[in-house]
Amino acid sequence: MSMMAVAEQTETETVAEKKPPGKALWLLAPGVIWMTLFLVLPMLMMVYVSFWTQTTFTIEPTLTLKSWITFFTSDTYLGALWTTVRIWLIVLVATVLVGYPAALFVGLFVKNKALQTVLLVLCVIPFWTSFLIRVLAWRPMLGKEGAINMILMNLGITDAPIEVLLFSELSVIIGMTQIYCVFMVGPIAFMLGRIDTSIIEAAQDLGAGFWRIFRTIILPLSMPGVVVGAIFVSVMVLGEFATSAALSGRKVNLLGNIIVTQVGSLKWAFAAVAGVVLTILMGAVVAALLRVVDLRKEL
Amino acid sequence: MSTVLQLKNITKTYGDMRALNGIDLALPGDAYISLLGPSGSGKTTLLRVIAGFEHPDGGAILFDGKRIDTVAPHKRGIGFVFQNFALFPHLSVAQNIAFGLENREDEPVTDRRVVEARVRDIISLVGLSGLEGRAVTQISGGQRQRVALARTLVTEPRMVLLDEPLGALDANLRARMRAELRAIRERCGVTFLHVTGSEAEALAMGDTVLVLESGRIAQSADSDTVYNRPASPAVARFLNCYNLFPGRIEGGAFVGGVGRFALGAAAPTRATSPAYAIRYDRVSVRPPEAAITEDEIRIEANFVASEYSGAAVNSFFALDDGRVFEVESHLSHAAPETYAEKGRYALVWKREDALVYV
Repeated sequence: MSMMAVAEQTETETVAEKKPPGKALWLLAPGVIWMTLFLVLPMLMMVYVSFWTQTTFTIEPTLTLKSWITFFTSDTYLGALWTTVRIWLIVLVATVLVGYPAALFVGLFVKNKALQTVLLVLCVIPFWTSFLIRVLAWRPMLGKEGAINMILMNLGITDAPIEVLLFSELSVIIGMTQIYCVFMVGPIAFMLGRIDTSIIEAAQDLGAGFWRIFRTIILPLSMPGVVVGAIFVSVMVLGEFATSAALSGRKVNLLGNIIVTQVGSLKWAFAAVAGVVLTILMGAVVAALLRVVDLRKEL
Repeated sequence: MSTVLQLKNITKTYGDMRALNGIDLALPGDAYISLLGPSGSGKTTLLRVIAGFEHPDGGAILFDGKRIDTVAPHKRGIGFVFQNFALFPHLSVAQNIAFGLENREDEPVTDRRVVEARVRDIISLVGLSGLEGRAVTQISGGQRQRVALARTLVTEPRMVLLDEPLGALDANLRARMRAELRAIRERCGVTFLHVTGSEAEALAMGDTVLVLESGRIAQSADSDTVYNRPASPAVARFLNCYNLFPGRIEGGAFVGGVGRFALGAAAPTRATSPAYAIRYDRVSVRPPEAAITEDEIRIEANFVASEYSGAAVNSFFALDDGRVFEVESHLSHAAPETYAEKGRYALVWKREDALVYV
């Protein structure tokens, strides 16, 4: 009798496990509806619109490849695509070079957890001001009569102001690196903070020096952080237009700037083409970055 | 047996806390030494000082007759096995073990074949054959323990420090790994210093048992001596098999809270405070009216509860001053007795069996 009862109980348990959590699925409904209405449909719409016929002032839903052909034969658009990729790569490398040592310091060498948090919050403080102010604040710094040139000239290091500092590709890179660096520091510091100090002590005890330990233990264990940080930075830099508009003096045109201009002049089809290209580019970049490290395994 | 490691008056202070308070000890070569201490007694600190992860405030550490206090951890020839094993999570079993050989600063082994051969040897020594390519996250606790040990042993240290090596394993495995650790040590012939908080583990494993108590070595002897003649009341208390009474010695008797105990012939042991200790299994429980012989000591107490552990049963009695008195009866020759709840019984032991500290 009691055996029977046990058997029955196990059976109900397995049944309960296999049954799909029917009611729980409703919890996903608001998210799914929202995302479908305001993300998936607009994206499909954008792809659709990119094939519409564009005339000077109007756009007609007659399907044509004309906008796509214009995009891939025009030096302006291809140049913007190339500039976007180039600036993205430079900023990505710059944020890693600037951010990794900072993250290493915060995540590994600061033993006190409270101090770690304080330092990370310090990194975020610039975000308490508006994005535009942070970008525009670089102008009085980098300008011909800006702070950096004044200091360099007063110290006698340079005779004439360095003009390339502002309204150039360099100023866009400086500005973007500063703004997006923290998105690199955060994830890396998080991964480094999770490394058990006894693992590093064990490596020391086995005789490895600091650089060996860094190369064989610390760097591989922090790679997921680098990849997550790189995804953050890449997605944001690829979609950028404000920094280049404010700091390049319109000399640097990213795909984002093209979209803004085209929308401004009601060229919806061209804007849609640039948008689709940009979206595909971002998707490819994220997919490639996820190839580097198996995040599901690491996190 | 020659002395391999010698510590002279080692002190270490954290803020106001004296973690190590003048440690003097000499460890023999080719031996299994267990270091027993309650939590907070400074045992992990002592191990980390010997390994070189912490610097002592004072004193000297000699290894093979040479001072090593200022030598970096990896140049001491001492291996360290961490409590949580501290394996490199992104490397395989074989890569973990090869790490020290390939990456050490002094004379790294660059010949892959030599590394592979030595890793293979050590893997068979610790019994991990067949798991070389596994990730260390995919193996069991006992296997991880072996990887941690192999990773240290492959670098051929003169001595291995183990920080609660069995603490992370479940009870079954712990018993098996005890024998295994001793066997591995005998095969490679180096000194193991095994830190543990478990008295059973320390007694079972150590050729020599060191007992650490509030930053000092309270006793250093073989298991039998530590168990039967603890050097101080603190050691006796920590062994968890003695009833202890505080009190004083007065005219050939020990005067405690529950009466006068006549002393046996053996001279009392010197200690910081007077105490009277009687082992749980040296006491017999009798009806209160039963007579006692000349050389026996008797007190009365009320039965509280008993705990059955298979080979023995431990009974708890409340003395008249409220103290709990424990009696252990082995069941190999007798069926467990049942005592009446709250019943009054006489607890009797032989004078000579008691340990007296002054």
